Amino acid sequence: MTFRRLPSGGRIDRNRPVGFTLDGKRYRGFAGDTLASALLANDVTLVGRSFKYHRPRGIMSAGVEEPNALFTLHDGARTEANMPGTIVDLIDGLTARTQNAWPSVELDVMGINQLAAPLFQSGFYYKTFMGPTKGAWMFYEPFIRRAAGLGAATEAADPDRYETRFDFCDVLVIGSGAAGLAAALSAAGGGGRVLLVEQDSALGGGLLSEPEQDGWLQARLGEIRNASNIQALTHTTAIGLYDDNMVVLVERHDHRQPDPAKGQARQVLTMLQAKAIVFATGAIERPLVFANNDRPGVMLASAVRTYLNRFGVAPTGRAVIATNNDTAYAAAFDLAAQGVEVIVADSRTEIPADLQRRNSIEILAGTSVVDVKGKNTLHAVLDGAEQRTITCDVVGMSGGWSPVVHLTSHGGIKPVYNAAIAGFVPGGFAKTHSGAGAVMGTFGLNAAIREGAAAGGGSIAIAAAGGEDRPYAIVPTWMPPRRKGKAFVDFQNDVTAKDIKNAHQEGYHSVEHLKRYTTLGMGTDQGKTSNIIALAEMAELRGLPIEQAGTTTFRPPYTGVSLGAIAGRTIGGHFRPTRRSPLHDWHAANGGVFIEAGLWQRAWYYRWAGDTPESAYVKEMGLVRRGVGISDVSTLGKIDVQGPDAAEFLNRVYVNGFAKLPVGKARYGVMLNDDGIVLDDGTTTRISETQFYMTTTTAQAGEVMSWLEFLLQTQWTDLKVQVASLTDEWAGMAISGPKARAALELAFPGVDVSDAKLPYMGCLDFSFDGVPIRLLRLSFSGELAYEVHLSADYAISLWEHFLKTGASLGLKPYGLEALASLRIEKGHVAGLELDHRNTLDDLGLGKMAGKEKDYVGKALRQRPMYQAPERWSLVGLELLEPEKRLRGGAILFAKDDKIEGHGRGYITSVTWSVELGKTIALALYNGGLKHVGEEIVCAFPLKNELTRAKIVSPHFIDPEGKRLHA
Amino acid sequence: MRLACPHCGPRDYSEFRYGGDASKQRPPHGTTGHGTGDLQTWHDFVFLFDNPKGPHLEYWQHVLGCRRWFTLTRNTATNEVGEPK
Amino acid sequence: MLERRSALAVAHPFAWAALTLGEVRGFTLTQVAGFGNFAADVAATAGALPETSNQAVESNGRTIFRTGPHAFWFVGPENDDLAARLAGKAIVTPLSSSRTRISIEGRAAREVLRKGIPIDLHESVFTPGMFAQTGLHHTPVLLHCTAEQRFELYAMRTFALNVWEWLEDAALEFK
Repeated sequence: MTFRRLPSGGRIDRNRPVGFTLDGKRYRGFAGDTLASALLANDVTLVGRSFKYHRPRGIMSAGVEEPNALFTLHDGARTEANMPGTIVDLIDGLTARTQNAWPSVELDVMGINQLAAPLFQSGFYYKTFMGPTKGAWMFYEPFIRRAAGLGAATEAADPDRYETRFDFCDVLVIGSGAAGLAAALSAAGGGGRVLLVEQDSALGGGLLSEPEQDGWLQARLGEIRNASNIQALTHTTAIGLYDDNMVVLVERHDHRQPDPAKGQARQVLTMLQAKAIVFATGAIERPLVFANNDRPGVMLASAVRTYLNRFGVAPTGRAVIATNNDTAYAAAFDLAAQGVEVIVADSRTEIPADLQRRNSIEILAGTSVVDVKGKNTLHAVLDGAEQRTITCDVVGMSGGWSPVVHLTSHGGIKPVYNAAIAGFVPGGFAKTHSGAGAVMGTFGLNAAIREGAAAGGGSIAIAAAGGEDRPYAIVPTWMPPRRKGKAFVDFQNDVTAKDIKNAHQEGYHSVEHLKRYTTLGMGTDQGKTSNIIALAEMAELRGLPIEQAGTTTFRPPYTGVSLGAIAGRTIGGHFRPTRRSPLHDWHAANGGVFIEAGLWQRAWYYRWAGDTPESAYVKEMGLVRRGVGISDVSTLGKIDVQGPDAAEFLNRVYVNGFAKLPVGKARYGVMLNDDGIVLDDGTTTRISETQFYMTTTTAQAGEVMSWLEFLLQTQWTDLKVQVASLTDEWAGMAISGPKARAALELAFPGVDVSDAKLPYMGCLDFSFDGVPIRLLRLSFSGELAYEVHLSADYAISLWEHFLKTGASLGLKPYGLEALASLRIEKGHVAGLELDHRNTLDDLGLGKMAGKEKDYVGKALRQRPMYQAPERWSLVGLELLEPEKRLRGGAILFAKDDKIEGHGRGYITSVTWSVELGKTIALALYNGGLKHVGEEIVCAFPLKNELTRAKIVSPHFIDPEGKRLHA
Repeated sequence: MRLACPHCGPRDYSEFRYGGDASKQRPPHGTTGHGTGDLQTWHDFVFLFDNPKGPHLEYWQHVLGCRRWFTLTRNTATNEVGEPK
Repeated sequence: MLERRSALAVAHPFAWAALTLGEVRGFTLTQVAGFGNFAADVAATAGALPETSNQAVESNGRTIFRTGPHAFWFVGPENDDLAARLAGKAIVTPLSSSRTRISIEGRAAREVLRKGIPIDLHESVFTPGMFAQTGLHHTPVLLHCTAEQRFELYAMRTFALNVWEWLEDAALEFK
């Protein structure tokens, strides 16, 4: 076969030559070419090897349906595999590589797979490698995977930029063929915001391949440009239809060669909300199934016509057009007009008279192409009324048209079979949806225009195109003629008509089973040219009408999508939001080392104490145990609870009593979920009769806030309480250590912070330098300690004031690691223990619960199983083998247990105790404190460690709480 | 999916959080009293749910917006949603 | 002497031809909520309150947003004493430090915001005076259209720098 570029014609820009390479070899094309059209113009017709059999393949189509001509584009980190050359705009410097062939497409050693073809028949893997011989798969898999495949993705990070965005419109028109253009203009006449999207590089759809209708097309494009309320996007694919008219669009800017450094996106994904949608998605031509229908040079008839009329690329000598319907004649006539000798093999015995009147082509009625032989020159074998072999450059085939019902089906409405066009059309539309043109099975140009105008609202008249619509006739042919040689149905996945017969024989009758058994339609083209043929063949084998065989389910995306487009800018530092304390800038500037805690960036430790967390936190702990330290606790959840019923409300949500909490006092409280499991803990302070200041753990702040709102808004609507989050409004800092009071006296001269004025769990509100300060005497560390809360705006200023005035006491900051370790020594539970599986009793807090009142979770916390003596409950552990380690997550066993299974509990938190000079841990253990004094074994199978430890009380230091009350 | 917040109007689902089945009545406060109350009632409320294909009454919160909790009926097969309450 | 510090102290405001990103400092944000007929008492002190959930009202030097069926935000000048004047008449929560007010202005403003905000920002739909409580990069924000091409975004303080960084990145193509 040979192709050439015609001296004139087509929509390419002959003044803008473009250079590109394929497998390193240089070629030239023109702006307006696709990679496929430029290759054909250079007479490059062998462009790949097939997936399983490594058969030579050429370009079959001129659109998104292309199963064969897949390329790997670009180099290095920009490498992109499996791109259909039919949708790649030719740009200067484009590098393309063929796929699945070594050393080259011309000489591919894996072509031997054709000889081993029985091994690759559908079902081969299942039968051979499943069941008793399953082990063989492990051995053979790497070889098989290497032999069968497509292009390889790069492992390098994608250097390009992608955007995602939201948008809205009144009418979305998908597809810009005649129907789509008419719909857009008609909708715009109604005054709404119209968005017209076209996946191709130019508006016009099929009209781009019909020069005789160019006048109509140009006139409509002019009107579209002039309509201020139409936005028309090319290179934009509607990849999926989702709930409530959300359509995801992907716009490709590859042809502009965007520069990521300038913020230019390679692709933009838009989540579009449309009030109404017009589907003008057109139709895709089907191949015919005959022996060796995959030879390079065998193409869809419409593609032959598109390459001729849109790209000015024609076969040099003779063309055979094989068809079962009328549309292929357009290609035949256009080829003949360019001087190509055309023979039409039409499998129908009766051919419409108006097609026969043309004498420029030879028409063989009742004749089919049954085989194509030859490598470089094709020999089309004809059978039927005429039996002969024709040597030719191209075989253009048309098995009829499949309306593009993918998007219309995404919403769950199954397409229905229309026998008149031998294809599936939309099975109905949602209220705000409509369809127009070929997708509806309407193949006449003026009928499509009328349908489009009506779908767009019909507010204005759309000019008719020249000429009369002629009726469309097809006599479908599905099964291949009985000939030797592979007759392909799914070209990309190498599924033949014989595979479908096999599936039928093996009992895989439903289309969904057929698909999974043969891999039909599972390629990157998702079976756009093959699915209908396969299910029609299966229907015929089963003796069913096609409509009863059903279709496979259409799911997004319609065409391949870059992962980058889906991720957008949600990568790297923007993968998720980052939350920063009001003191963040100080930590960053003063040796704070950060660690992620949920969304928060928290100060983990400070450089003053050491260069590693292990060395630093111990020093910071010592500071708090022996002197005084300051720590950022701004991440705590803080909630303003106000209203006449605030006390009653808190009394209901906390297990312990809050109704009688005096003004100016704080209380530690625990909340349960309805199921009796601990939700959260924290301290809540009564500011006035009707106002409380609640704190929650950092991790549960959002949960608790939503829970309180839920109860107030939906359950206890009679309670007069308002809650408001103060987490962002207030900063918090803990001043902890034996010298904490001295530090406060130095920082707030004139404020009485004596034990009498501010006892343990007391609260003092005062103004310092005009700024309201809330001073709470609380302790997480077990030392004499305070929390200072104030407006976040002033946090850094006050923090610096503390450091300055406390310098004589040795006041320094301590970080999250020390904070979390100090509380382990004290036996305070935190997030690692409050893991949404534990009851109050498990945590040793059962005595807190009010006996005389009702509270959330009360009923279900008293379920018998929650009272079982063998429940895992809180204990302390001491390491007995100092040269070894205790590890969080270690599984606990009794001394004489066999080390297997889930054990009797696990370690939740571990630290080196500065106070005790040994490693300690908190753990949950079967039976809990009943086992104090027992020696147990901590197993950490990931590191093959067995470590002995002793069960002790979790209150390692100051169990009487003398320090708190100092 | 679009949900209609009773205060803010129709919004993208990403502004909301799902709050579970709203078809059952949470046992009122005070019924647990000094003991476990009706354990069976609480058990059924917390643990037993229908899993209908079709209309389902649900709690949602406009958590990125006005923080209103409300109920609406969502068809679990089609994601069609009714008016919020 | 205690000094205020913005959550955006380390950010770099910029003014390009198509886009200006800045911070509005020195305002008082007061959340006012209540029960029953509280709105009448509030109106007696603060002036007429907005009826709708999407249109801000300018009154007595303050911008008032109806943020919930029974809640309002008053954005007044620095040192606004509204909270004190409403004490006892409503549930008052001062929130001036809790939100960071970011201004976005220019012909690219709507397109930059579209990259993160899932509401219809078309100039015929989201017009000056309108506002929406919505989300940006998973965080709650209140977006207020103050002029055809100018917006103010009230971001949560602890997310504000991240929202700023996000906007800066989204704006890059308009530099």
